[in-house]
Amino acid sequence: MVNNCLYWLLCRKFAQRLIRKVDNPKMIKKSGFKLMPILILMLMGGGIIMLISASKDMSTYSTFQQVKRSGETAKVVGVLAKDKPMYYNAEENPNLFRFYMTDQDGEIHEVTLNAPKPQDFELSEQVVATGSFTGDEFVASSILMKCPSKYKNEEVLVRSNM
Amino acid sequence: MQDIQYIGEHLLPGRLGHFFVLTAFVTVILSILAYRKRVLHPEDGSWLTFARISWGIHSISIFAIIGILFYIMISQMYEYQYAWDHVSDDLPMKYIFSAFWEGQEGSFLLWMFWHVMLGGAVVFTAKRWEAGVMTWLSVVQLVLVSMIAGVYFADSFRMGSSPFLLLRDTMQAPIFNNPNYLPLIEGNGLNPLLQNYWMTIHPPTLFLGFASVTIPFCFAMTGLWEKDHTAWLKPVMPWTLFSTGILGLGVLMGGAWAYEALSFGGYWAWDPVENMSLVPWIVLLAALHGNFIARHTGLSIKTTYIFYILSFLLVVYSTFLTRSGILGEESVHAFTEMGLEWQLVGFIGLFAAAGIYLLASRNKSIPTVAKEEKIQSREFWMFVGAMILAFSALLITFSTSIPVWNKLIDVYGSIMGKGDMTVYHKAMPLDPIDHHNRFQLWNAALVAIISSLAQYMRFGAMAWDSFKKRFTKHVLISLAVGLLFAYLLSLWIFLPSWQYIILLIAASFGVISNIDYMINFTKRNLTSMASGLAHGGFALMLIGIMASGLNKQTISQNRFAQEGMVDGLDAGNNAFLIKGMPMFMNDYWVTYQSDSLDGLIRKYEIEFIKVNQTGDTLEQFTTYPNILYNRQLTKVATANPNTKKYLDRDIFTFISGLPPEQQDRSNIRKIDSLLDYKLHYFKPGEEKDISGYHVTLDSIVLGTHNTEYDREEDDLVISGAVTITDSLNTQSFQVNPTLIVRNGLLYSLADQINDLNLRMRLKASSLDSLFPLDEDMVFEPLTMKSGETVMWHDLEISLDGIDKHIDHPSYKAMDGDIAIQAILSIKNQDAKQYIARPLFFIRDGSPLNMKAFIGDLGLHIKLERIDPEKEEFHLYLARMADTPLLPLEFAEEVPRNDYIVLEAILFPGINLFWAGSLIMLIGMFLGMYKRLRKR
Repeated sequence: MVNNCLYWLLCRKFAQRLIRKVDNPKMIKKSGFKLMPILILMLMGGGIIMLISASKDMSTYSTFQQVKRSGETAKVVGVLAKDKPMYYNAEENPNLFRFYMTDQDGEIHEVTLNAPKPQDFELSEQVVATGSFTGDEFVASSILMKCPSKYKNEEVLVRSNM
Repeated sequence: MQDIQYIGEHLLPGRLGHFFVLTAFVTVILSILAYRKRVLHPEDGSWLTFARISWGIHSISIFAIIGILFYIMISQMYEYQYAWDHVSDDLPMKYIFSAFWEGQEGSFLLWMFWHVMLGGAVVFTAKRWEAGVMTWLSVVQLVLVSMIAGVYFADSFRMGSSPFLLLRDTMQAPIFNNPNYLPLIEGNGLNPLLQNYWMTIHPPTLFLGFASVTIPFCFAMTGLWEKDHTAWLKPVMPWTLFSTGILGLGVLMGGAWAYEALSFGGYWAWDPVENMSLVPWIVLLAALHGNFIARHTGLSIKTTYIFYILSFLLVVYSTFLTRSGILGEESVHAFTEMGLEWQLVGFIGLFAAAGIYLLASRNKSIPTVAKEEKIQSREFWMFVGAMILAFSALLITFSTSIPVWNKLIDVYGSIMGKGDMTVYHKAMPLDPIDHHNRFQLWNAALVAIISSLAQYMRFGAMAWDSFKKRFTKHVLISLAVGLLFAYLLSLWIFLPSWQYIILLIAASFGVISNIDYMINFTKRNLTSMASGLAHGGFALMLIGIMASGLNKQTISQNRFAQEGMVDGLDAGNNAFLIKGMPMFMNDYWVTYQSDSLDGLIRKYEIEFIKVNQTGDTLEQFTTYPNILYNRQLTKVATANPNTKKYLDRDIFTFISGLPPEQQDRSNIRKIDSLLDYKLHYFKPGEEKDISGYHVTLDSIVLGTHNTEYDREEDDLVISGAVTITDSLNTQSFQVNPTLIVRNGLLYSLADQINDLNLRMRLKASSLDSLFPLDEDMVFEPLTMKSGETVMWHDLEISLDGIDKHIDHPSYKAMDGDIAIQAILSIKNQDAKQYIARPLFFIRDGSPLNMKAFIGDLGLHIKLERIDPEKEEFHLYLARMADTPLLPLEFAEEVPRNDYIVLEAILFPGINLFWAGSLIMLIGMFLGMYKRLRKR
């Protein structure tokens, strides 16, 4: 409550000062002061900064080798290695699924996903795994799989943590 | 290939369909020309009549196309590719609409349908603006009709994809060498994921939203074209408000669909397809505010033009992104390529070029106001707000268009001859939700604050000197109450960072100031509250987003079970639940109680109980998530969540995993083949100790108690009733391994004790020795009277009487049957008594019988004949030479099959989100109503 009263006082003083300043047409005229262009410039500046920092969020499509070398998180595009074993045992751990994936360079690596095994994963045509290396283990935070179900191309996204 | 005369095809609807597509195409061109003439020569009244007739015939043609396509689909004419692809014999009629717009052609037709309806409204209401608006609407409609034209140019370039193509023309298959192929094919049906009511209501709403964006665009283009830059600003407003309301509703419904029926675990995932339906709406809002400013002050007319044109172009761009397959690796949404990429690019290019040309050529004639907006004026802050909205749209589009940038880089590379440009390709942000939230948070906070401030102000800062006191007072009071409100909310909502504190303050201020505005500035007149409702609703929606998103709590975490298993990483959001066994997770005792199959849906009953420390139940509820099987009931097609709704929170539950056997029938054999079965022979009543278990064969019975057994007529079923006792725990279990002869095939139905990881089955090859065919047995006759007792070999047999209540397991009563069962009690040497009930019945005048079988004795008894005069029963008895031996196979370490993997999430305050968004949309519709009434 005390805090709120303080806010109230401070804000009132500040607002009064601001209004007095803005309200004084002489001040504006004298300086040739135009607010709109300045505000737009500020917005544009902020916008550009946001755009630049947004473009830093962009990731890249990568291979296991590149991800391992860079030590960063990236998206690996590949296919499920169907001749290798898949591990999922709900009884032991419902949030652990392991499979082998062949990346675009043909390298086969095991992928760990902390989520249940997606339905019809065996049938997937393409897998995009987003993740990074922990030691020698590629841990995916999400996988996107493309499935040719009998008649429709369906895609399924699985995230380990939402 | 020689010509084949196909049998049974219905070619007339297709020809009619093509005819109406052509008619629609021609009449819309006539409509463009005539309306254009009308604009250029307003004095000549005849052009208007001609234009209206053209548009009228065009409208009828579109209705006819839709009607014919529906007819083809309802009649299941699989000779048509569209019907074959989207309908099946067993598709319920209630999903016929969903099937209609599942395909691209159908959704384009839906879009055109709404254009026709809206165009009709324009014809009747737009008066002076009719000709111009309808010219542009017809141009848009022409492009859309071309999308379903299906006309080839020079064999390689196809314009549009017709919904009336014959299946045999779209694919090469040997089946089409058979003139009578039709009875051999079955439709694909509707994707099970789309078989819910959302698919029935969401697309029409969204497409009405998309179609309604076209009308303000047409007004703007007409304004530019006719160089009448101010008069259109008023009549366009109701259309814009209608569009923001409907498109907003469409987007919201998409979120509700995702939340209610998909496995996202939320209503918004910043998926590209969601984003691109949101962006046109945001830009349209910017246009709406530009329009307000322009109408009241004459400022920002150019901006308004640009935003209106942009909002329409973004609708087309959104169509391009979601239908061209360019999103490929980035989206979870299912869209098939239609081969119309270049046509869609042309669509955007055409209207972008038209818009830019008109803007450039009319630039000088657009009136501008020399004076500067005052900072105390409403228009100043409204303009800033519109800019923020536009910027927010730009940012979302920028991130969502990454695949397009990649394509452009490739195009650049091939033009400049630089070869493969793949190395420059980028991918979407690793965590799109975090990415977009981080930036849009600022836009949302600014919009909430600025919209509230601007609303208190007046256009042109009218009488500011006398007004400023009132303004200051209201802003400060709202701010103070808003801060208090935010503080109270912060006790409930967990705020992870200071950015969210700012957003919460901004949203609270927004809610309070809008309430204040509605009470003190609108004279309590409902229609003048439109803007207060829209802006206040938006602010409330922000609070709802924070409450449900930031406070989202996963219930389904089993910390005890997972302790030490996952090192460092999050424990995961899914819990393992055994049927009937309560598990404790995050304050709740959760029990998977039961499941039941109804049609193709298996419904699970999950009970949640919350108790306090003294053991009193605080809260108890049950949710019913389900899974949908494919048509053959062999595989799981999709899982549907179920949500328990309270006023202040939702509990979302979803089956995220099942035992492999239940996911796919083919896994049953696979898993069984991996088990190591050991064979043991049991006499009836025999007890044995097998690897620590005490096993008793209680009896061999005709029929079974196995719960998995699904009775069918004419089944022959034999099973062992086995008791297994765990020698340590003295727990006792009953199992019923079963053999079934059905349609001449032999099935073995195993039975499982999940608590012991044991599975038991009968060795299939033993059927013949256990239950030989009648021909292989020697039946001896025996005639008895009721009440008589005789010795037969070493058995003492009494005929106790008859029973007309028939319980023979193989018997199925039919009308006109006369049936009777004899009741025999049989004692063996150990004085153990058995009851046998052989059946005799007369069906269609012929005497028939069904034998009784006493497995333990290996005794078969037939009642062949009843002599009513002598009251004699003619029995035939046969008995196997040896005591029957039941071959039981045991497997240990069998994986459980009585569990589910459950995801359960708590969404607090999610109703604030729905309520806020709905209030916002109601505000928009109220605004539309207000403007319609004023006219």
